[in-house]
Amino acid sequence: MDTPGATARPRFQVTIEDSGERFACAEGLPVLKAMTALGGRGIPSGCHGGGCGVCKVRVLEGDYRTAAMSREHVSAEEEAGGVALACRLYPASDLRLKVLGMMHRAVEARRYGLV
Amino acid sequence: MGVMRIGHVDLRVLDIDEALNHYVNILGMIETDRDDAGNVYLKGWDEWDQYSLILNPSDRAGMNSIAYKVEKDSDLDAFEKRIADWGVAVDRVAAGALHNCGRAIRFNLPSGHEMYLFAEKAFVGKSVGAVNPDPWPEDIKGAGVHWLDHALLMCELNPEKGINKVEETTRFLREVLDFYLAEQVTAGPNGEIQAATWLFRTTTPHDIALVGGPRPGLHHLAFFLDEWNDVLKAADTMGRKGVKIDVTPQRHGITRGCTIYFFDPSGNRNETFAGLGYLAQPDMPPITWTEDQLWRGIFYHVGEEAGSFTSVYT
Repeated sequence: MDTPGATARPRFQVTIEDSGERFACAEGLPVLKAMTALGGRGIPSGCHGGGCGVCKVRVLEGDYRTAAMSREHVSAEEEAGGVALACRLYPASDLRLKVLGMMHRAVEARRYGLV
Repeated sequence: MGVMRIGHVDLRVLDIDEALNHYVNILGMIETDRDDAGNVYLKGWDEWDQYSLILNPSDRAGMNSIAYKVEKDSDLDAFEKRIADWGVAVDRVAAGALHNCGRAIRFNLPSGHEMYLFAEKAFVGKSVGAVNPDPWPEDIKGAGVHWLDHALLMCELNPEKGINKVEETTRFLREVLDFYLAEQVTAGPNGEIQAATWLFRTTTPHDIALVGGPRPGLHHLAFFLDEWNDVLKAADTMGRKGVKIDVTPQRHGITRGCTIYFFDPSGNRNETFAGLGYLAQPDMPPITWTEDQLWRGIFYHVGEEAGSFTSVYT
């Protein structure tokens, strides 16, 4: 919902292939921030700085730009092939994404307290 | 004699301007120097040595190395021998190799993290001076952190494969560098696995902490604030500036610290940590947190994992 007086910016639809989740992302906003602000959970949310790699996605369709992402998590080759960190991913059209990042402990029970 | 305190952390950042904005305007650190390689050096207002944080422009996030300051130059010779005798390779580093520091020694902790010990660093002085000082300087920005307080290093823990770098690194820090154990988390069927430790050389509960995880890395760097209200104000600044907060202000059971966890613009986790905890002394019996109570130890109020605390680090 646009608030009165807010600058109207183009808004793009982002669809997460895995969950079917859809949300709007204004131009200039990273996909992960748009999703978490709306309470979405389809992409794992971590550092929001391009450093930790948990929000790794593949862009299946659409135009976008990215900001600096840690090479630890996205190689130059992957980047050229449409892989990005959602926290550094800015849509320039509607996007369709597949989630690649995985929270290490989200799916496994911990056996030793912290791991 | 021996290790006095944390000296500095050499931290990789993806964008130096964004990083500087964060550490200067949000945390309130002061830029004190730059070098030809593009590294930027910063200190807290209450620190007297030239820097406690090196921002290193890089294509990835995380920590290059951590350095501790020893009291006397001769300590470096004694530690060099003790480290080598323990079976860890140790290099001598010439004066100046660590920016504006005297000679140093370099080695890897059993966890794989690179560590330096040095005895001398260029002196700048506290912002309030050393003669009839005010309690705090007028021109504080953001959170106004006093000093780099500690770092928490993630160490590989894989009991099935017999790997426990928390236990091994803790033993090294105690037996070789004379750190003392303040608190620990024990896990496993009979509590036989040391899964996390907090160790000190100063009189506060930790100058370094080690937590078990799937791979080594930097969990966080912590910066000191006086008290709870400073933590709240720091969080207000972060909210205003859109900093990604991981865990909102709350209390640790372990160390009794008041805390906020958040991320720098490259995704390195920071903590602002308030309170001196308790008087930590060599003869204080170490505190143990059992596995069933460990989250109360970490987040005392909710007793559950908050944010992405153990799964996300650089």
